[in-house]
Formats: sequence, structure tokens, C-alpha cells
Amino acid sequence: MSTETPVVPAKSARPRRRPLRAGGAWVNARKAVQYSGLIAFVALFLWSRQGGWAAGVINIPMRLDPLLVLLSAIASRTLVAGSALVLVTLIGTLIVGRAWCGWLCPLGTVFDLLSPQRKRHLSPPESWRGVKYVVLLTALVAALLGNLTLLFLDPLAILLRTLTVSVWSAANQAITAAEGALYAVPFLAQPISTLDTWLRPALLPMTPVYYRDALLVAAFFVGLLLLDRLAPRFWCRYLCPLGGMLGLLSKTALFQRRLKEECKGCTLCTDLCPTGTIDPAKGYASDPGECTMCLDCLESCPRGLTTFAPALSRPKWNEYDPSRRQALLALGSAAAAVALFRSDALSARLSPTLLRPPGVPDVNDDLAALTRCTRCSECIRACPTGGLQPAVLDAGVEGLGSPILMPRLGYCDYSCNACGQVCPVQAIPPLSLDEKRTRVIGLASIDRSRCLPWSSYTPCIVCEEMCPLPAKAIQLEEARVWAPDGTQVDLQLPHVLRERCIGCGICEYKCPVNGQAAIRVYNSRAGQQV
Amino acid sequence: MAKPTRRDFLRMGAAAAGSAAVARVLTACGAQVPPAVPTAAPTATPAPTEAAIGRATTAPVDTATVAPTAAPLPDLAVARNGTPEELVRRAIAALGGMSTFVPKGSNVIIKPNICVAYHTYEYAATTNPWVVATLVRMCLEAGAGSVKVMDFGFGGTQEAAYAISGIQEQVQAAGGEMVPMPMFKFVRTQIPAAVEQKEVFAFEDALKTDVLINVPIAKVHGLCRLTLGMKNLMGLVRDRPVLHASISQNLADLASLFKPQLTVLDAVRTLVSNGPTGGSLDDVKVLNTVVASRDLVAADSFGATLFGLQPDKLGYVKAATAMGLGRSDLQNLKIEEIQAGG
Repeated sequence: MSTETPVVPAKSARPRRRPLRAGGAWVNARKAVQYSGLIAFVALFLWSRQGGWAAGVINIPMRLDPLLVLLSAIASRTLVAGSALVLVTLIGTLIVGRAWCGWLCPLGTVFDLLSPQRKRHLSPPESWRGVKYVVLLTALVAALLGNLTLLFLDPLAILLRTLTVSVWSAANQAITAAEGALYAVPFLAQPISTLDTWLRPALLPMTPVYYRDALLVAAFFVGLLLLDRLAPRFWCRYLCPLGGMLGLLSKTALFQRRLKEECKGCTLCTDLCPTGTIDPAKGYASDPGECTMCLDCLESCPRGLTTFAPALSRPKWNEYDPSRRQALLALGSAAAAVALFRSDALSARLSPTLLRPPGVPDVNDDLAALTRCTRCSECIRACPTGGLQPAVLDAGVEGLGSPILMPRLGYCDYSCNACGQVCPVQAIPPLSLDEKRTRVIGLASIDRSRCLPWSSYTPCIVCEEMCPLPAKAIQLEEARVWAPDGTQVDLQLPHVLRERCIGCGICEYKCPVNGQAAIRVYNSRAGQQV
Repeated sequence: MAKPTRRDFLRMGAAAAGSAAVARVLTACGAQVPPAVPTAAPTATPAPTEAAIGRATTAPVDTATVAPTAAPLPDLAVARNGTPEELVRRAIAALGGMSTFVPKGSNVIIKPNICVAYHTYEYAATTNPWVVATLVRMCLEAGAGSVKVMDFGFGGTQEAAYAISGIQEQVQAAGGEMVPMPMFKFVRTQIPAAVEQKEVFAFEDALKTDVLINVPIAKVHGLCRLTLGMKNLMGLVRDRPVLHASISQNLADLASLFKPQLTVLDAVRTLVSNGPTGGSLDDVKVLNTVVASRDLVAADSFGATLFGLQPDKLGYVKAATAMGLGRSDLQNLKIEEIQAGG
């Protein structure tokens, strides 16, 4: 071993060299797997509507994600059948390090595609890498205390939520508008008609589905993309809690980047590394907890010094790795936050219109949703009417990203049980259709000051017509009333039979009264003792 | 040919977008001149658009080629006690045969009731699949160019409703086509003869088709008391909740717009309680009856009697009769009763 360590000038002082394009068979293989993985993720997304592919197939990416599955299991103190799939990821990480991040993670692939290698003028401080470990530890402690709010930062959840709420919804608007405009051109009418049969209902819904806060979700995603301009894989390096978890497991990975012998310091690999973990100050060694196994460095080394050959090794700790101090910080802030959130969420569960998907256990304080839901958005995507929406503050800050039913945007379809089928952790129980039809989501209540027959002597009863129950939960009272102009009017006045209503919300959805419906579904559990 | 440059591409794109916009503006301008717009007319036949009371004037076929029977054709045919296929075939034969409705090569739209995706056909919420399939076969036998089946329901997704009702399977086996109804094909349409609802968003294919066959199922209904043929036409328009405030007149207005050539009322199974969505077999009454007529109002009038009601109890029948769209005086109509089977 040489006694001399190479003298390396500071990064900013060194003359910038144009980085070599990473090449080689391994890099091509990695890219092929990355693109296939992203295509598979998007395909699963597209065909995850009601009537699409099997639910157990659709939620495979979520069930592979240890951050979602493990933290949900910890917070709810239950392990669900089908969770075993995370062992593939965990054991895989012990063997090949953060290859998930470099080869499989669809969000990582999006970053690689949208931010090609280019000169970065900023080199963020290495200590920022510790942020993701603090986020992870905080999420872990919070999960022990029964809170899963930070799971909204899971990369798969972010991507699925963005695709569902923003990307595909906006694409539907654009495509529908284009279809409408081109359909008016006489010779295009037939081709547009035919094109539409390929798109709907296979890829797009027949009737439009709207998501609120689409801008918020899109802005968050665009924010991550902009961060990527500061440094490649900014999210993966500094923020991703899943990356943090896999990074800690990778410290002793069997396959790691090593140098065969001391190198001369040409810095070609340093410039290529997307996570910037090859450190000249440490002899061009890399931290396996940061390395995403992209293999760009493997064949770019002109002296062939890089090797990923398997070997056992002791973990090396860097200054940004979680220290005792940071662990205590995480513990303290998690405990404080959970206490704050819980009081905030409990006050929000008295929100009269907080409605959860059918079958979520009837517990007074919304715990079933808050301690189990991974905020992955699979149910929101699967809901055919767009009734399930991601909560923002509706269930308190604690419930951020969890699904709530908003009947005015979409009703719970009487012929559908998709949400329970796709939930990767059974936060929404997988009920048969007959079982699901008996579960109470909420109870409808008529505002007689807005209802047309009750308030305006105008016939209507659309709510009664729409009620899907075999024994309808809305009954009509035939009445003969005196209208203000002195005429006698025969009216049918709707009454909700609360013992029958399941709160599906189709009455609220279809109510023709403008703005707020005259019949609304209310949270039937608020204020009741368990 | 030289590869188009970016400038060429942008030029072509601007031309396409511009022509689409101009076409949009032109058609929009056209829509404000009610009598001249072809979209207001339900069929492409040269037959007069005023209601043909009790007369078969819908087909452009030279009536001389249809061998005149000794007696004039009945206004209503009621077939009882048979399989759905027998009932439909016998009823339509009594009206002169499907060829009097479907000219060779014509485009046919069959409009059954597929309003919800909740139950299979036994629950009598949706039209009997074999009634629909038989009509498909008869149209193809008469030489129709295309036979399309569609409905824009209100409960569940369209694709689920088409499948769960059983209609998709039978129609496709019979050689017909199930057509989804996307939103952009509902065009703003004036109803010139309308008393109240002057304008609706109507499905364009249904306005332009050669032949429209209305195939409702007989059910009870909270607001309308019964949902029969006239109510079934609602499946061809969107934005329906607001129509309920003045449902009787609005249904008559819709009937003046669409004017189906043939109405086949499916009373094989009827829903006698908790309609129109149903869900309990206890609410289903099996009548094994099919009623067919050229006159939509007459078919609905007879349908009322199946539930023990007089036609004038149905507000929309009264409104339609007042507009001259059909007849409800059953005692004066020629009704042929057929016992179809054992």
C-alpha cells in the first residue's frame, strides 16, 4: 500500500472536465431494467381501475416497499397477509445494496430521465445527507407511537398520487377537449370516434373524474424535479426516507463498490456518480449507504479499478450518518408531533363530513385509517367514480394523504368493491361485494331549506330514484300543500330512513340543487361513544 | 419527400387547430338557427316530422312492396306467454315485420334500459338481454347495415352496466355492437316542438341514426309512477337531474325530439316495487309479456294497464297526447293480442 495519499485540489478549483458518457453492458442492463420498471409501474397504474387487472398484481409495487409495509405494521400492530413480499426487497438490499434506488424505483428513474447529466454548479454540503436519516427515524418513532403521517414522503406514494390526482386527470381533460374540438370537423368525426373506443373505458374513464388539490400535488412533484436541478438525484441523496432505510441496510451489503487499488485521481467516476458519493477526500471510495448501484463508474474507470465483486465488510460510518444525538432529536420531535397531531386529528374527526371508504372499522377516533393507511393512493386510483380523494386537512394534519369519500365529487358505486381489494395493507378491508353493500359509510340527511320539494314546492326526488338499496333508504311522503301563490300542489317529500342508509352518497352526487347539495352524507360516528 | 422541418410542423399544426376552431364556430353558429339545423331531426328519412298518429309512416320503403294484408296493421301488438324470443318475433310480425321498420343497409340504434350496473337481469332493473338480442337478430335479418346498442345509465360505470346486465353478452352473440357513450358526443341540440325543455345535450349518433328502436323495461318509479318508453329516452341525453323538476313535460319534449320508429316494451319481468333500481327478487313480477308499437305513447299507455293504472294517471302520457305525439285512448286503438307459446 502506498504511503502517500494523493494531494487533491478542492473540487471547485479543479478544472472542469466534460464527463464521459457512462457506457458498458452493465449500464445498459441497468437502464433496461429501470425503463421496464417504470413502464410496468405506469402500466399497473393505467390498468388499476375497477375491472382492470387483479388487485393482487396492481399493488405489487406497494407491497414491495418496506417503508410502507413495515411502518404500517408497526403502527397498527398487525401484519397482513401479503406483507411477506417486502422480504424480497430487504434481503435483496442486504445483498446488492441500494439497487432498488438505482434499478427499480420508478421515481428514481423519472429523475434520471428528466435530468440528464449536466454540469452542476452547486455542490450541497455532505451533511445534508443526514436529513433523510432524520426523516426516517422520525417516521419510525412516530409509527411506534401509532402515526403514519410521514409516509406521504414515500417515493412510490408520491409518484402514484401525482399520476392519479394530477397527471392522468389533467391528461383526460386535455384529451377530451381535443376530442371535442376535432369531432366538430366533419371528416374527423369517425376517426375520433374510433380513437375514443381505444382510449375509453380501457385507459380513461367514460365520465370525467376530478381530483381536488391537483395543483398542490403537482406543485410538490414539480418542486422535487426542480430540486433535481441543484444536484442529480437530490431527493434520493438528501430527503428520501425509503432511501435512508435501504441505505442503512446497505452498509454491510455483499455487493459494494470498492477500488482494487489506489487510484490516480482522474475524477472521471466522481463526475459521473449521480449521488455524488465518490469522495476524493476519502481516496475515491464511496459510501454503500449512498451508492445506488447504477454502475456508471464500473466501466468508465480507465484503469479498471472499480469492482463490485462480493465480499463481506464492516460498515463504515460517515459524519452524516445518524448519530445518537439525531436519534434523540427524532424521538423527541416525533413524540411531540404525534401528540400535537392527535389532538388536531381528534378535533377533526368531529368534522361532520369526514367519510372513510366502506368497511374501514367503525372506531370513533378514526384510528383505523390513521394507524394503518400508508397514504399510497391505490384506493384513490381504483375508485371508478373519483369519490375517494386524498385528504389534506380534513382528517387533521395527521390524516394528510389518507382517502376520504367526497360524494359531491363521486359516489361509492354500489357495484364496486375495488378499494378494499387493492389496499396493500388492508387498511380498507377486502370485502366481498355483498358484504361491502352492508357497511355504513355515513348517513344521509336532507336540508329541508334547500331541498326542492321541501322548500320550493317543486317536484324532484332524484335522491330517491338514485338510492341503490333494494329497500330504498329514502321514502316519499305524498303531500298536498298550499303553494304561496294560492294553488294546491301535489308533492312527494323525501325522508331518509336512517336505519337503512349506508351513506354511499349517490343521492348527494346527483342532487340537482346548485352548489351544496340539499341532501348530504354526514359522518355518523362523530360524538358517539364506542 | 423532404423531412418536414420544425417550421413546417408548426405550420401544419396551426392549420389543423385553426380549421378545427373554425369548424367549431361554424357549427355553433348553425345551432342557433333552430328550424334549419339537421341535428334537430331524429332520422334521415324524408318522412314528415310531425307526429304520425297511429300510422306507420316511418320507413322510406315503398309501402307497395309490403304485401297489404286483408286487415289494416294493428296499432299495438301484445304477445304473452312465450320465451322472450317468441314474444318479440310474434309481436313484431303482427306489426308487419321488421322489414317495415328497417330498410336494407340502414343504421339501427337499439336503446334498451341499462340504467344501473348493480344487478343481473333477473332483478328486472334492466331490459331482458334476450329481448334485446332478438331485436338485434331481426334487424340483421332484415338487412340492416349496422346494429348498435347503447344506454347512458346513472348508477355505476357504463362498461360495468353493459356487462352485469347481461345485455353485452347476448348482443355480441347476436352480431350487434355495444357502443360506449363518451361525453363529447353529447351535442347541444334544440328541440323545436318543446314546450319547456328547449335545449338538451343529446347523443349525436341517436339523432342521426336511420332507425331508433326503443326497448324499455316496465318498472315502477317514485316520481313518474312508472318508467316505460318515454322515460327510457332519457338514456340518450345527459345532465338529467334538472329535468326532474318538470318531468312530465320534459319527457314529452324529449319524445318530440327522438321519435323512435318502434317501441318494444319488455314486460317479461316487471319491477313492481322499489324501482327503478330494484335489487330484491320479491319485487319482480313475471308477466312474460312484450308490447310493441309504432306509437310510443300508445305503448306507454298499454304499459300502464299492466300495473293496473289508467294511462291518464301518467303525467307524461297526458303531456305527450296534448302535444299530438301519440294516442292514449286504448279503447279506440286496434290492439292485437297474441298467445305466443305454451
